[in-house]
Amino acid sequence: MDNYEQGYNNDNNYDDYGAHTGDPNLDNEYRHYYSIPDFVNNFLSYFRNCVKEGLVFELQTLYEQSWPKITEDYFEKTPWPEESDVAALVGSDPIFMILYKELYFRHIYARIQGGPTLEQRFRSFFNYCDLFNYILSAEEPVPLELPDLWLWELIDEFIYQFQSFAQYRARLQKKTEDEIKDLNANNRLWNVLCVLNVLHSLVDKSHIKEQLEVYASGGDPDSVSGDFGKHSLYKMLGYFSLVGLLRLHSLLGDYYQAIKVLENIEVHKKSQYAHIPACQISTSYYVGFAYMMMRRYSDAIRTFSSILLYIQRTKQMFVSKSYQHDQINKQTDQMYHLLAICLVLHPQCIDESIQQTLREKNYHEKMYKMQCGDLQEFEYCFTSACPKFVSPCPPSTESPEGDYSKNAIKRQTIIFMDEVKQQKMLPTIRSYLKLYTTLPLSKLATFMAQNSRHNDGKWDLDKEMQSLIIHLLCFKHKMKNVVWSKGASGLEGKFQSGSELDFYIDDDMIHIADTKVAHRYGDFFIRKILKFEELNRKLHQIKI
Amino acid sequence: MSETILMAEAMKQTVASMLRGIERYNPDNLPTLERYVEIQSLENAYDLEANLAILKLYQFNPHLFNEDITCQILLKALTNLPHTDFIMCKCLLNETQMSDEIIQIIYLADILEQCEFQLFWTRIHILPELIQRITGFLDSIRKFVCHVVGITYQTIERSNLAQLLGDVDDSTVNAWVKKYGWKNQGNLIFIANQDENIKTKNINEKIDFENVGAIMASCH
Repeated sequence: MDNYEQGYNNDNNYDDYGAHTGDPNLDNEYRHYYSIPDFVNNFLSYFRNCVKEGLVFELQTLYEQSWPKITEDYFEKTPWPEESDVAALVGSDPIFMILYKELYFRHIYARIQGGPTLEQRFRSFFNYCDLFNYILSAEEPVPLELPDLWLWELIDEFIYQFQSFAQYRARLQKKTEDEIKDLNANNRLWNVLCVLNVLHSLVDKSHIKEQLEVYASGGDPDSVSGDFGKHSLYKMLGYFSLVGLLRLHSLLGDYYQAIKVLENIEVHKKSQYAHIPACQISTSYYVGFAYMMMRRYSDAIRTFSSILLYIQRTKQMFVSKSYQHDQINKQTDQMYHLLAICLVLHPQCIDESIQQTLREKNYHEKMYKMQCGDLQEFEYCFTSACPKFVSPCPPSTESPEGDYSKNAIKRQTIIFMDEVKQQKMLPTIRSYLKLYTTLPLSKLATFMAQNSRHNDGKWDLDKEMQSLIIHLLCFKHKMKNVVWSKGASGLEGKFQSGSELDFYIDDDMIHIADTKVAHRYGDFFIRKILKFEELNRKLHQIKI
Repeated sequence: MSETILMAEAMKQTVASMLRGIERYNPDNLPTLERYVEIQSLENAYDLEANLAILKLYQFNPHLFNEDITCQILLKALTNLPHTDFIMCKCLLNETQMSDEIIQIIYLADILEQCEFQLFWTRIHILPELIQRITGFLDSIRKFVCHVVGITYQTIERSNLAQLLGDVDDSTVNAWVKKYGWKNQGNLIFIANQDENIKTKNINEKIDFENVGAIMASCH
């Protein structure tokens, strides 16, 4: 690590890589006249003192409100002040500087046009190394306290930057020779094993797995937390690292490990660890997605509808925090898409108010197209709602020039579409079965043959019967899936038919069982009552 | 036989310790894990988690990719149908690893997933060497067939069942019928009373006084 930094400073003129304009001459000029505004100066000094004295509540305000506000006002499209300028201001305080740089780079990733340079990506990586080394290699818990939201966003950002680097690395076109040289010289940076190592170390250090196990069985987590895991910093970093692993495994297509890593966490339950909405939402998104890929539609639908209901009910809370709001909105929309896919493949009763949203927004039309077998619509919904998959191993820099960053997502899309294609006949069969309580096989076979566009009206009943039976077997097989009901691991479960329509064959007769849902009035009237009350209250307030 | 069964059993613990925490990504464990796959094939044992760990190691270390082991893992995953193990394995492969043999296995999975059993049996008869090393492979597929038959039928024609099981003879049909506790009824086979499980459900809304107490109180 040291070698890298030395080598870099010796070989390169630092300013060539300056972050401001990209033009060295302009940059120098810019630097010359640039000074930190007083207001920002004061903010940074105060911020530093709060970190030093561990004023968590104050830090929470600074982190959630002041920082985004000042970013809007002073640094909307430019980076925050350089490390050296801030260091000069706050004096020697390595921990604050690491934290500052974390925010500084995060801001560059999020706001600066063109994204971070290679050099910035590397520097950000080293900054994370410094931070995690400080936290993990200490003999006793470090005296640092940060708001939980910050800790969550820190882990989430760490994985985001890994993902971003993997995508960047896989785009071999438009890379300069120097960049290629740099990449080859530093091929261990942002390596997937480094990221896994950090997350596993945080999990181990905090004894979070043991804590969750004890907590799940009703005991006191502190009894197994050890010296480190008692501290909020370690405990929460451990918990968020588990969610981070869920995300990382999902990005790599490892859905089994993704679900397994959350053992002893009940995604839908309130717990002392589950108080950061963004973390809850992200957890449900990845869990639901993994279930969908594993063809556990009931579990996916349960996961999505439960969190979407939660979002619906608590929406007001997020509005004030705009930067979180965007992320949550995006993930919400993705989950509605995924839920729509799951409900097309596996029709099932869900909560009325979620159903309502699916009807009102334009998901309805998409669902209709998918039901009609529009494969393109399936693919579109999938690719717009799936995670940004990455390949853990970058293409060799000797590979032919090109964009390799889409390979992983293509691969997962193909696998998903294979599944959809295997199920292509099921909606047609379902639509016929819905009309009957009993139906002879031969009659359904006739319907299917008449409906088919491939036979020019000429067909053979025996053949049609044979292929119908295959489709019916396939229907039963695909609609009977493992469903979780209890147990520490989300991987557990029993085979169940969770879809609303089911049937069995008795020799040559199909017996159909449907789910009939009577109209629900309760919700409707409650909503109307509340609306009426609101109106009444407003009328009373009017003074004439 | 009992001695060989001990091999998979004995390895299980060693392997489990190789899969804990960050150790799972240590490529030095690959030779042991790969041997474990060979033993699974030989002894008709199965360990999904270990097999996924191997595919993950190939994903992280493409130069260590072993096509033969991958094929065995994929075939073993098929033996665990109706579980979706095969999909989970498939999600860990990348496009550069798609050899002819792997594509063939993916095709087999595809027709099995669509319950095209007759097509599967014709296909497998022309590819005997593919599955030769996997002890009990065909019977595992028959188990899957029986699972699907078991959830679909109340009664099924005997000849139809024989066909689904791969055109097997009478005594083989009888063996499977016995294994699953089904009953011979002339040229029909009685599977189970499905109407007990599969019946029309009516979901009605139930609102009792306590549910609406709060809102009524607020509407005075």
